[in-house]
Amino acid sequence: MTFGSQTLTTARPRPQRARGRLAARRRRAGLLFTIPVVALVGSLLLVPIGQTFYYSFTTWDGFTPAQWVGFAAYRRLFSSPEFVAVLENNAFMLLAIPVAVIVPLSVAFLINTHVRGWQIFRSVFFLPTAVSWVVIAFVARDFFDNKGILQGILNHVGLGFWHPDLLSHERSALIAVMITFVWSMFGTNMIIFLAGMSTIDQEIYDAARVDGAGNLSVMFRITIPLLKRFVQFAVIISLITAFSALFSLIYVMTSGGPGYGTTTLEFFIYEQAFTEQNFGIAATAGVVLFVGVFVISMIQLRFLRSDD
Amino acid sequence: MSAVGWPHRRAVTLWRRRTGRGLIYAGLLVVAVVMLYPFWFMAHTSLRSLQQYYLGRGYSLTSWHDLFNALPVARELFNSTLITGGAIGLILVAATSAGYALGTLRYRFSGVVFLVIASAMMVPMQSMIIPEYVNLARLGFINHYYAAILVYAALGTPFATFLLTTYFRRLPEDVIEASLMDGLGYGKIFFRIMLPLAVPAIVTVVVLQFIQIWDDLLVGLLFLQTPQQRPITVGLATIPSQHFLDVPMLMAGSLVSALPAIVVYLVFQRYLIRGLTMGMSK
Repeated sequence: MTFGSQTLTTARPRPQRARGRLAARRRRAGLLFTIPVVALVGSLLLVPIGQTFYYSFTTWDGFTPAQWVGFAAYRRLFSSPEFVAVLENNAFMLLAIPVAVIVPLSVAFLINTHVRGWQIFRSVFFLPTAVSWVVIAFVARDFFDNKGILQGILNHVGLGFWHPDLLSHERSALIAVMITFVWSMFGTNMIIFLAGMSTIDQEIYDAARVDGAGNLSVMFRITIPLLKRFVQFAVIISLITAFSALFSLIYVMTSGGPGYGTTTLEFFIYEQAFTEQNFGIAATAGVVLFVGVFVISMIQLRFLRSDD
Repeated sequence: MSAVGWPHRRAVTLWRRRTGRGLIYAGLLVVAVVMLYPFWFMAHTSLRSLQQYYLGRGYSLTSWHDLFNALPVARELFNSTLITGGAIGLILVAATSAGYALGTLRYRFSGVVFLVIASAMMVPMQSMIIPEYVNLARLGFINHYYAAILVYAALGTPFATFLLTTYFRRLPEDVIEASLMDGLGYGKIFFRIMLPLAVPAIVTVVVLQFIQIWDDLLVGLLFLQTPQQRPITVGLATIPSQHFLDVPMLMAGSLVSALPAIVVYLVFQRYLIRGLTMGMSK
């Protein structure tokens, strides 16, 4: 990625003065066309994130003036058992990431054989990407409910004596959320891998075949190493989604419960602010989330750059 | 290898290839069932009354009827459309002009501006939503459409700007040169030449943002709390609690809410895929 100074080169030589005038007009037009984006993103995104940093050092209910408490705010947050439980939930969700990457990777291999009708399968698998978390959460709640679809399937195959009742226990409810997450992340990651596979030159495969490589060794020795960048991208996207885009799913599916069982960091922020009126604590947690996501994104940029 | 000499071997490879293909199809079909089952469940459950749902047989339109009684569905669909459309409009204004300025015109600090806007992509919604809420509440914006429109626009613009800037950067400089020779100003070049050239990227942005905004819950939940203004996702998620266990009605509502985004997806799939994979390209 190259940002930074690109020199303005004009194709044919011009008289010096006209060129200067033109360059000035160009600069003015450039600045003018930048105004909307700076106004919008500046006032509604960059200023608020700055405010979050400020309020993270305060005690604040959102209405009366905030009281500065400094780093004690962070000590207070990290010493509260609820917050530790929330961080544990986030850490536990990391276990879903390998599944959310490996399953679509294997299916992408199947689709990439380009059997007849592969486009239809691709469309079907990608379909959940278009569906709201709210809708997915309604179906998921019904699926994992004690009297729901999953129990129906278990009864049907003669395992009716077993009642997993996932949504009633803290850890298992989080597992149910993670399964739902993997299901809806599937399409996005598969598309990433298919895009990656389409960049691999057919000649490499032909050469490998001539050398007598079998299907599996082609997959592990050639395709997967060449997909490294795409696997990294999928891991990062899945991580960011798991940590910062599951609010609606959790809100509808479990409301963060039972107990703090499915309260992840992003849901904790919402709850602290809008049900507990602890805007200060919510801002402190907001900074923790921001820093986490920022670090993950920076790692991605480093990965992408190191491959150049 | 001569075909005549190896009849046995040919039969074996043919057999192997067929089983291979059979296994591939079997795998793909299993995944297809897993991915499609929820849609089938929604459709067929919505066609049952609550009683029929518990009995597990019979069909009726009761739940659809109940849905329209419990929720102002038409109004909420209109709200969703208005908010999504308004936000996409703002995003396009900000992102196309920024793409032109940062990708084509490029001035002294445009690289820095681009870097700042692009890094705003990494701001998670929950990290900025609290001050955002307080700021807009102080301005008296809560429960007005434009509150949600502004927030969605701000959230969608960084990625749209990133996409359009990289797109404009690839357009040849000669286009600008030639237009300047023809006596066009930089404003006219943008509207008459650059915008038409950017249509594929614009469609990608529209499709991505449509799905994102239409499907979102949090912004509507916070900024539009009255039944008159709220979008369909908020209506569904906060359905009056006496209906909360009415699964068939919820499924009918889910279908209504999901359908527009699914239609957009089916029609513009290609653009959506391109937008997603562009996040990777440099």
